[in-house]
Amino acid sequence: MSCLELKDISYAYIKGKRVLKAINYQFNQGKVYTIVGKSGAGKSTLLSLVAGLDKCQDGAVLINGKSLNEIDRDNYRAQDVGIIFQQYNLLTNATALENIVLSMYISKTKIKNKNKHALELLNKVGINEEKATRAVMKLSGGEQQRVAIARALAHNPHIIIADEPTGNLDKNTEKDILEIFAELAHSENKCVIIVTHSQKVTKIADNICLIKNGSLIDLGDEDND
Amino acid sequence: MYIISNALKNIKRNRGRNILLGIIILALIIASVTALMINQVSSSVINDYKGRFGSEVTISANIDKVREEAMSNSTDGKIRVAIPTIPAEQYIAFGDSEYLKESYYTASVGLRVPELESVDESLGGGTGNKMMMGGPGMTSEMPEYYTKLTTPNITEFDNGYRKLTDGEMPNGENEAIISRDFAELNTLSIGDIIKAESELNPEDRESDAGDYPISYELKIVGIYDDITEEYGSGQQQNAFTNRRNEILSNFDTIIAKMQENYRGIQVGATYFLNSPEDIDGFTEELGEKGLSDLFDVKTDMDSYNQIVGPVEGLSSVSSTFLIIVLIFGGISIAVISSIAIRERKYEIGVLRAMGMKKSTVSFSLWLEVFLITAVCVVIGIFGGTMIAQPIADILLQQQIDAVQAATQNTQMQGMMMAGGTNNAVVEEPLSHLDVVLNMVTLLKISMIALLLTTVSAVSSMLKIVKYEPIKILMERN
Repeated sequence: MSCLELKDISYAYIKGKRVLKAINYQFNQGKVYTIVGKSGAGKSTLLSLVAGLDKCQDGAVLINGKSLNEIDRDNYRAQDVGIIFQQYNLLTNATALENIVLSMYISKTKIKNKNKHALELLNKVGINEEKATRAVMKLSGGEQQRVAIARALAHNPHIIIADEPTGNLDKNTEKDILEIFAELAHSENKCVIIVTHSQKVTKIADNICLIKNGSLIDLGDEDND
Repeated sequence: MYIISNALKNIKRNRGRNILLGIIILALIIASVTALMINQVSSSVINDYKGRFGSEVTISANIDKVREEAMSNSTDGKIRVAIPTIPAEQYIAFGDSEYLKESYYTASVGLRVPELESVDESLGGGTGNKMMMGGPGMTSEMPEYYTKLTTPNITEFDNGYRKLTDGEMPNGENEAIISRDFAELNTLSIGDIIKAESELNPEDRESDAGDYPISYELKIVGIYDDITEEYGSGQQQNAFTNRRNEILSNFDTIIAKMQENYRGIQVGATYFLNSPEDIDGFTEELGEKGLSDLFDVKTDMDSYNQIVGPVEGLSSVSSTFLIIVLIFGGISIAVISSIAIRERKYEIGVLRAMGMKKSTVSFSLWLEVFLITAVCVVIGIFGGTMIAQPIADILLQQQIDAVQAATQNTQMQGMMMAGGTNNAVVEEPLSHLDVVLNMVTLLKISMIALLLTTVSAVSSMLKIVKYEPIKILMERN
């Protein structure tokens, strides 16, 4: 069943010059989707609309049949979707642990020992306790990316959206993270949408979507065949 | 709850910027506390004095009008200027008014005490009823008095200028108290009787009726110490005007000897209005009750202005200072907060992207400024309280100097008669204010702090929360 549907979505940064043109698509639970395309094709823009970070100018993003314009987008971002940004977008003067605990508070996660849960998540993405209590600014780019991934998972969202999540990771960590994404989709029935240029990432995808000339073309899983 | 702990963490994380903000807020709070405390105390002093001087009514004959009437009534070229008096019954009738809060009645009569000696008797006696005679051939024979029977001025006893050291106040019929000087001069003690005599004069001096002799037998029930000036400023000095010879009794005892169509017992009243604004209504009512046009009805605003003038100046200075501090301080805080929040625009974008609501982000930012301000208020109140008194003393002295320099009336020279009455009690203009912190000031400073915090935080936040989170993050990225 589709958990996320794009219905006639259009978006333009400059009036008359649409980056996205009447896109229609359905994302389902339990699958990994990768969105590929040239730089400036509109991949990140589409991701922002799906993540509820921006409003589409035409059409609608439907969540379980309801338009994002009709529901509380703050609650949607806090509870239904986990976002991993290309630039991490962490609270830089807070620690890794604080970033994740704060995310749990914002989403009103009903976990009693939030610190313990946050440390477990960080451990899962390869951040140990010592690094977890360091200010984010004092972590490397790859470590910050892992913290961003842990934060996106902190409130157990059913949709995970990632913009170039492995761009700053070494090969081993990239492999670990991709395994986590695949496991989240296939074992925990989550919908994982990843914008990427990486061939390795497309390899774990169940569906590959190409954005070209403002349109979204479903390539199926042809690259993996 | 996590918002509070997060706010505290943020304050710690951005300690450099917050210390700067705190210093400015602290300076602003100290200045505001100082100005508010001085303003609060000076305002209460002003209100108190306004109530006292502005509400005390004096009824006095207008000499110019009296002279004009005497001239217009003269048929034989002789001008008889007699100060009009108000009958005791009329004084009492005037006191029955809705405009009045309180009424005090006074009476006095000149006496001779043949069996006793008066202080400064060698200087001779004086006359009780003043009468100005004009025109050719007019003469007057005025009786001489060596003491005065009068009602006590309660203010003098309250202020300690006169102090009852033995016995009690004269509340009963024919009871009286005397000064220690007069008692010692005549070896009088409590329980002794003073026999005194006087006479009343016919109101119609053209009639054949002669003076009406009266006498008092007064029982001494108390003796008081007297540190008032023996003689009033500019007064002729004799036994009659010497205040040590005053025998104090109650109003009823003194006026008991009054006779219809005779004068000689001076009756007066002090009325206190409910509010200084009632003076016009009360004056109109007195006219309706028969008060002659020859009398002026006034409140003692001159005394008020002389005594309270420096404090009013101080109040004005503190108000102006407070307004300037609030305007410049408010702008400074708003600018710093605005810069601080602009710096945190990215952080706000991240929090919004994580799903934090605009209201929660705003409250969180406001809370940080509020917590800083709360600490500054506590320190500022302590600091302000420490410096308010010396600053008030300096400012008040400057105001006193300015008022004295501006005062052209050399007779006053910074001293004046208390309450505008003819008592020889001198009262210093206000030269000291006890600046204390009270609940009103605390409430005001709390409101100011809250307002500044809110204005500074809200004005800055409004700019930021109107953006979609992605726009904030894209700017940064």
